[in-house]
Amino acid sequence: MIAAIIRKELLAVLRDGRLLVLAFSVFAVLSGFFLASVAEHRQVQQEKRAVGATAKEQWDTQGVKNPHAAAHFGIYVFKPDSPLASIDPGLRQYTGQALWLEPHKRNEARFNPAADQGLAGRFGQASAGFVLYALLPLLVIALAFNAVTQEREQGTLRMLHSLGVSATKLLLGKFTGLLLAFVVVLTPAMLIAVIILYQNFDLAGDDILRLSALSGVLFVYYAVFAALAMSTSIHFKSSRLALFVLLAFWTGSVLIAPRLGATAAEMLVPTPSVAAFWAAIKQDIQQGLANDGDHDAREAAFNAQVLKQYGVARIEDLPVGYTALKRSFNDNYSERVHALHFDRLRDAFERQGRFVHIASLLGPSIAMRSVSMALSGMDLAHQRHFEDEAEQYRDYFIGLTDDWDRERSHGAERGAQGHDADWGSVKAFSYTPPPLGFALYHALADLLVLLAWLAVALIWLLFSANRLKP
Amino acid sequence: MSPNKPLLEARKLVVNYKNHRAIDALDLSVPAGCVYALLGGNGAGKTSTINTFLGFNRPTDGNVFIDGESPEQNPAAVRAKLAYLPENVALYNYMSGIENLSFFCTLANVRISRQQAHDLLANTGLQADAHDRRVSTYSKGMRQKVGLAVASAKQAKVMLLDEPTSGLDPSAANDFARRVRQAADLGMAVLMATHDLFNAKQVADRIGIMKAGRLVEEFDAHTVAHDELEHKYLAHARGSL
Repeated sequence: MIAAIIRKELLAVLRDGRLLVLAFSVFAVLSGFFLASVAEHRQVQQEKRAVGATAKEQWDTQGVKNPHAAAHFGIYVFKPDSPLASIDPGLRQYTGQALWLEPHKRNEARFNPAADQGLAGRFGQASAGFVLYALLPLLVIALAFNAVTQEREQGTLRMLHSLGVSATKLLLGKFTGLLLAFVVVLTPAMLIAVIILYQNFDLAGDDILRLSALSGVLFVYYAVFAALAMSTSIHFKSSRLALFVLLAFWTGSVLIAPRLGATAAEMLVPTPSVAAFWAAIKQDIQQGLANDGDHDAREAAFNAQVLKQYGVARIEDLPVGYTALKRSFNDNYSERVHALHFDRLRDAFERQGRFVHIASLLGPSIAMRSVSMALSGMDLAHQRHFEDEAEQYRDYFIGLTDDWDRERSHGAERGAQGHDADWGSVKAFSYTPPPLGFALYHALADLLVLLAWLAVALIWLLFSANRLKP
Repeated sequence: MSPNKPLLEARKLVVNYKNHRAIDALDLSVPAGCVYALLGGNGAGKTSTINTFLGFNRPTDGNVFIDGESPEQNPAAVRAKLAYLPENVALYNYMSGIENLSFFCTLANVRISRQQAHDLLANTGLQADAHDRRVSTYSKGMRQKVGLAVASAKQAKVMLLDEPTSGLDPSAANDFARRVRQAADLGMAVLMATHDLFNAKQVADRIGIMKAGRLVEEFDAHTVAHDELEHKYLAHARGSL
């Protein structure tokens, strides 16, 4: 019986000219956005590769200079985006993709606290991802808003009841048929997307897994809208009223909830301004963290410890370069302070993200958006992973130049020199993005929210079966 | 066919819609092979009676039975035994007559082959070239033939008709009446709500007049004269009886 209802629903969609026009429109819009995204993604990646190669070449050919001066020349590193970023560019434009690595501190431009607004600000921005999470639910609503009201209005519901069709089986059949019809309508656009991805990028196994996971999560997301739309169609006698209510829900879920959530999160977990953030770091370096003493006190203690370690009375008598030693000491302390403040800031962003979830009560779109960004490798967690790797690389190459500076000078003099052979021996930054498991782990809360929405929607649908009267 | 055990039965049936009494102490019995026509004006309680047999209304008091089963207590068994044709037989416009018939048969747990579906439609008089056409192009009479084909495929014991000839041209109404009569002659019990006196007199074995939810008068359709029936019907409608 359910199979017959599913087949009937499929026929209804496929033979309804208006829906085919709608499906073609979705196909055109999705393909258009996706092609534009792919072109932009390719261009960004090419620019990154070109700039990265140029920067490395300039680094390698600095000529003869002091190793620390060479370190100040700095190295640019870039986050290689997943091909899925062309579907969902996520927080790219807010977090930035290039990091300028140099001695003494983390790069200022890499983590702008003001960019926090991006989490909410991104909603409404056109991209293939926007079509998938914001516009396609409208197609689901268009398919489902009159699923039951139309049967009631046309009298077929009475016919079905008179045949003894159980309301639960009828609804499950209609729900499944509707989802299958939606998949049929969407399949051409998804196939085009996969072909374009395949032709433009070297898809790794993890990319394919991520793409599959994204498709699965999107299916759950659309199922939520389908179940809610069908339930609404049962509870309202007129198709028009059901449509009005569903459009209001869509507006709340897609447009209002993200902004409401971001505003609430900013109020509940305030983050410092850019100026305050850097001033606090500067102050902690100068005055020291708890019980560490201020800069002068720390340096005096360090001097005493170095003289004792090398068994000399004066700095001038040290067998290694004192300036490099002192710089390493100060840099280590500076890094500790930076790490503390950056971790606090990033923890604040994560707490904000959790508060944004409160707005998920208004709809599943926030959770879907977050999972989409995570699976595309364009969320905060992936950015943090990249920055941590870049920071490790900064430690590596700054440490190397400090070693050269210390070993090639003595006492207080600063005559150490490095050559192109030294600069060329610095390994290039190589970043391997984390696997799918990393994305799923960090998107777990959002996945649970989506599953909770699905459970609620299905329970409501089954509960609504009791109200299905002809 | 002689009247015997009732397939359709209402005993002291009362149905209230909030504060309005739609059916008031209705006693009704339709045996196999009998066509019972319920006459009455709008709001008399005809459709409410049919809806109660269908299980769409819950009796406020009293009982209804179809072949001894209560629609309230055993809806699946009851619906397996009945066929329902409303004034406008609701079909899916994007499907053909054959597809509609097959779909409704499947939902009724009746498996039929495509050839059987064609035969069933042909037996109702639906022209062969219409079988594979979408029903959006069908007239009301053609839709009713699809409904009759569903009833035939189900081998229903009971047929409930709600204003079946309303809006049909005389020829189609006559054809429909003939086919209802044939179904009854094969042992089906038919309850037909109608405004159409001529049709009722032509096809029915018994005729009842309803007014304000009550069955106010019953006739043997074979013995009552048309003029007498018309007179009584109009008198009840005017309230002079």
